[in-house]
Amino acid sequence: MTRLVIAAWTVVALVTWTSSATQGDEGEPPLSVDQIQFFESKIRPALIEHCYRCHSADGSSIRGGLAVDSRDGLLAGGESGSAIVPENLDESLLWNAITYQDLRMPPGGRMPQTVIDDFKTWIEMGAPDPRARTGVVIHSKVTAEDIEQGKQFWSFRPPVQKDIPESAGLDWADSTIDRWVADGWREAGTIPAADCEPESLVRRLTFDLVGLPPTPLQQQAFLTTSKRDIDKAIADLVDELLEQPQFGERWGRHWLDIARYAESSGKESDSTFPHAWRYRNYVIRSFNQDKPYNRFVMEQVAGDLLPAADDAQWNEHLIATGFLALGPKSLTEQNPRQFQADLVDEQVDTLSRVVLGVSVGCARCHDHKFDPIPQSDYYAMAGIFQSTQTLYGGSRSLRNRQPSDLIALPSADRDSAQKPLTRTELDALRQELKEREAQLVEARRAQRAGTRPEGTPTSNGNPRAANPVLNAALLDQLISQLNARIQSVDGQGKPISFCMGVQDASQARNARLLVRGEIEQPAQEVPRGFLQVLTNAPVSLPKNGSGRLELARWLASSDNPLTARVMVNRIWQHLIGQGIVREPDNFGASGPSPTHPELLDHLAIEFMENGWSIKRMVRSIVQSRVYRLASTYDEQRFNADPENRALARGNAKRLDAEAIRDAMLSVSGQLEMSPPKASLIASFGSAPIGPNGPMTLPPGLISALNSTKSTAGTTDDGASMMRSAMRTGGRNPNVNVFEIVNYHRSVYLPIARNSLPRVLDAFDFAEPSLVVGVRETSNTAEQALYMLNNPFVLEMSDSLARRLVQHTQDPRERVVQAFRLVYGREPTSHEMAAVQQFFRKATGETKANKREELVFLLLSQLCQSLFSSAEFRILN
Amino acid sequence: MNPLTRREVLRQASAGFGYLAFAGLSTLEASRAMAFQDSENLKHPLAPKSPHFAASAKRVIFLCMQGGPSHVDTFDYKPELTSDAGKTGRGGNRKLMPSPWKFQQQGEGGLWISELFPELSKQADHLCLIRSMHCDQPIHPRAMTQMHTGNAQFVRPSLGAWTLYGLGSENESLPGFIALNPQPTGSQNYGSAFLPAVYQGTKVGRASGRRFGMNRGQETQTSVPDLSNPRVSRQAQRHQIDLIQSLNQQKLRRDGVDPNVEGIIESYELAFRMQDTLPELMAIEGETEKTLSMYGIGDGETDAFGRQCLMARRFIEAGVRFVELTHGNWDHHQRLRDQLPTNCREIDKPIAGLLADLEQRGLLQDTLVVWGGEFGRTPDAQNGDGRDHNHKGYTTWMAGGGVRGGFSYGATDEHGGEAIENKCHIHDWHATMLHLLGLDHEQLTYRYAGRNFRLTDVYGTVVREILA
Repeated sequence: MTRLVIAAWTVVALVTWTSSATQGDEGEPPLSVDQIQFFESKIRPALIEHCYRCHSADGSSIRGGLAVDSRDGLLAGGESGSAIVPENLDESLLWNAITYQDLRMPPGGRMPQTVIDDFKTWIEMGAPDPRARTGVVIHSKVTAEDIEQGKQFWSFRPPVQKDIPESAGLDWADSTIDRWVADGWREAGTIPAADCEPESLVRRLTFDLVGLPPTPLQQQAFLTTSKRDIDKAIADLVDELLEQPQFGERWGRHWLDIARYAESSGKESDSTFPHAWRYRNYVIRSFNQDKPYNRFVMEQVAGDLLPAADDAQWNEHLIATGFLALGPKSLTEQNPRQFQADLVDEQVDTLSRVVLGVSVGCARCHDHKFDPIPQSDYYAMAGIFQSTQTLYGGSRSLRNRQPSDLIALPSADRDSAQKPLTRTELDALRQELKEREAQLVEARRAQRAGTRPEGTPTSNGNPRAANPVLNAALLDQLISQLNARIQSVDGQGKPISFCMGVQDASQARNARLLVRGEIEQPAQEVPRGFLQVLTNAPVSLPKNGSGRLELARWLASSDNPLTARVMVNRIWQHLIGQGIVREPDNFGASGPSPTHPELLDHLAIEFMENGWSIKRMVRSIVQSRVYRLASTYDEQRFNADPENRALARGNAKRLDAEAIRDAMLSVSGQLEMSPPKASLIASFGSAPIGPNGPMTLPPGLISALNSTKSTAGTTDDGASMMRSAMRTGGRNPNVNVFEIVNYHRSVYLPIARNSLPRVLDAFDFAEPSLVVGVRETSNTAEQALYMLNNPFVLEMSDSLARRLVQHTQDPRERVVQAFRLVYGREPTSHEMAAVQQFFRKATGETKANKREELVFLLLSQLCQSLFSSAEFRILN
Repeated sequence: MNPLTRREVLRQASAGFGYLAFAGLSTLEASRAMAFQDSENLKHPLAPKSPHFAASAKRVIFLCMQGGPSHVDTFDYKPELTSDAGKTGRGGNRKLMPSPWKFQQQGEGGLWISELFPELSKQADHLCLIRSMHCDQPIHPRAMTQMHTGNAQFVRPSLGAWTLYGLGSENESLPGFIALNPQPTGSQNYGSAFLPAVYQGTKVGRASGRRFGMNRGQETQTSVPDLSNPRVSRQAQRHQIDLIQSLNQQKLRRDGVDPNVEGIIESYELAFRMQDTLPELMAIEGETEKTLSMYGIGDGETDAFGRQCLMARRFIEAGVRFVELTHGNWDHHQRLRDQLPTNCREIDKPIAGLLADLEQRGLLQDTLVVWGGEFGRTPDAQNGDGRDHNHKGYTTWMAGGGVRGGFSYGATDEHGGEAIENKCHIHDWHATMLHLLGLDHEQLTYRYAGRNFRLTDVYGTVVREILA
């Protein structure tokens, strides 16, 4: 099909991509002697005299990000855009500035007219600048030979299906997986642990596959069938679980951990990404559809460049590229080139670690220390992303100096969190925007002059109200909010469905290698390409595209030795509790070698042969006998292999934050299985986030500030009032919106990078600014405090207690039922005794008006105790 | 090694306290510890650790001045700024603005300190001024992040987290790193990033987004989430914890050995103690009138920060390794004349009181007190009588903990615009602080994503001149 044109672009303060910023060195006609002479006699001296002090590496600063002491510096320009566009006076900001149009440079007074005329002549003749000809060239210490040798490293070689030693594990194994693992025991002389009890196994299966405890029905069916035929019990349950939408919610979240998914920029200003949730839902859908993994990778890297059969698929493809757009960002960075370099760096590093398990990011500043990855390989990949526009949204303000466009989806989706605007509302917003912009101009003028602004409403005799700096800051924030709101709807006020993602830039260009990664020190141009150690022939990318599509195809290819291995290792790790390669994001020379290299290759090959199906891989692993091994402690087995490298026993796993919360919701009967509409953060629109929610100005605050007295005793011009209003958006400051109870699954909780919901924060959630292949599992006092005192836990305990009261009148049966629901088993006699003792002691300490109330309170505390206990949190 | 013996060792080593309390040990790490019989690895991650070499400081109080205090009006005396008043400054077209305040030499060391700090001036012989600070970031949040983590680009562990990782904690009932009145949007500045979560700062005192430093004259708000139960009495909760622990013990008995279960057991005991110790430490009313007034508690302007300083002393005294305090609103782009004196008054007496109190308790000698903002301000004026950001030259100071008191290190140019003599980059500053704590900044590493990371990346030189 032909590619459709993106339906609409917002006009949210466009970042100028300096597509004309660098000309390739090759293919340019050499400069004539006259041209060189003109530059050397007229232009260079003028630059030195009038500009260097503020715009050169040797001067006092590089103001506005503009350096004029190199050709690259001039062409790339600074914050405002390219200083010089050859042959184009109107586009050359330097011309604008020295002729005192919008910009005024030098600030002290205009250059002599003859000098200005020289610049005109020079730009019109194409701005010939001989300086770059003597550019730095960085020679890598990684030789071609090193790279060839590097290809021999185990993970850079293609996976090979080895023959299993004939006798390996024949008496024990159910599958090839088992035989490879058993082969390891033979070498080590280890005897495997027994299979775990069916009660444990059913919990393993449901938590591992869908992140929830077994329902009583599932448990019943499993235990009954397992008495006759354990394999059938497993197969039946696995069939059921793989078809549940909760599978995608569980496994999608594993992917989101490494995709460093979040709904805000993080860093200093932590501005919302109100459309990020579409990517989250895309990931969940993809896992549920069992989208082939190579396809899944291709969509995320180059979905925008793939053919689509219809609008729905096109939507899907565009949303997928959100993967590249939702990394953490320093939106307060003032230098657009620095911002761009950091953004590209984040993309290269994340992509290479997630898909290839290799950290290419190390090579931004120097050759990779451990792997045969020269610095130029980094810039070969960086060039692909420099030729790509990353679209993450935002509205310009002092807190967001680097907003970008978004992608308008070809067909609107139904899940939008936004309310439409009426014509009248929209007109009113536009009118207010106009007025506020005019006021801001005044306030800025007053700020520069250090005086009170004229024309802005003052005071009622309150001198504090007319603080120009404060007014400017307030107006800036307000204008940003108005812009964001207006641009979130179309001309009719209907909300536009946007997604984050990427598009090819209008012009593809190679990156310059940067000395020590510093943007002010460009060296030679590096042709776009991939990692040499992973390619057999030199890659040639099309001149008229970024090369992202080719990159995606290369990553998703069966010839790539890493892609399948890295993914099957991740799947193995989530199910078995430890990877075959223990550092799943590090398959390089500095990483640990695989405990079972042949098994890893076998899995990788099987994965590819089965159409890169994740569900089939999951099924293969959970139907192996290895998966069933009991985690029971045995001194001899333990001492023989403390790290359990040989996998002669199971690994006990600490449930992650989401599973702990979801299990409480599930057991207490409160879990809302359907996904929520969009996301809480989507409802904030475009705004910076504070600890308790969005920091937006409530409408009318400025006039309030100007007419009412600021808080007593302060001398800071109502600044504290502003801050407190910004922090709370006029809401009750004591209510943290991230902690408002909801009953959906935890994967749908709001993920603001700097303000995580408490349950996630306490239980080792994956730091959303980093690629996290393995979560930490700590046991902290903070977790204990959460379980003992948090209102959500208390509510869940109450709900479960209510279920128990409704279940039966029999006090003993209530306790037994509590154990069944929470642990999936009956209490032991010791446990019953402990509960009885607790009831006896706590009765005296519990205030209640009626017996029923007392019983309920004690039951609720019992439920809370079960939730708090180690058994609830640890999967044996 | 026999795992039961290992547990005995743990119990003994912890002198009665279960050191698995905060066990950030994964099963894997714990089993590694057992396999290698490495005595260091046997300890839980917050157990006190020996420094790399003899330390002069055992703990840190970091007084963080958010906004960028003007150095040329406080600790960096520039007579030429006065004589060159009105001339154009180096940086551009703005006019140099002399400090409106007088400077005098203070103490035996003769440090030049502005009249804005009359109380602190009396402690001048404890102060070691570093007047040649510089960092790479000209804007607040990024500079703040660099000051805390060394790196503004990536999310990295904070100074407090590194300190705790290096030295462990000395109190089993308290967190080892406490951030009092933290900045509302600065989570990563107290975070542990890739270090285990046990090393991150526990935030105290930002009750639901309200910063108590802001509520001048009001009752100090202190809060730690979920520190108390709205429903049950302490005794009733003890019974409940007994039940939880009984269930946990029975599981442990069934499982034989499980460091995770042991960790959970200890976490409840610690949590229960923390519920008592934290509020006790924060309840400063039991201090004598004399002490309270030393810190300026009870006086309108000094009350809020005075409380923080006193609390910091109480935490330090109780064994907390790293306490950070924040005082905001130093971003004086305008009306410096009106506003800077207020800021200075708010902290002058409390900090002077803190130094004096630490000294009289014999704590100052091994407590490193650090004062500073994310950068300083320009010598030239902006918006009338304001000053702009200046990351190229500014002043921080240290006191106690083995630094040379009454000493000034480094210098800015004649107007205070840029550090020129003995320049101290933020990496050097970090290296020096770690050195005072007995930690070699090049050896204090943590392996993440296939390489060893450190606070100072590949930079940093210890400023030996300021060591006592």
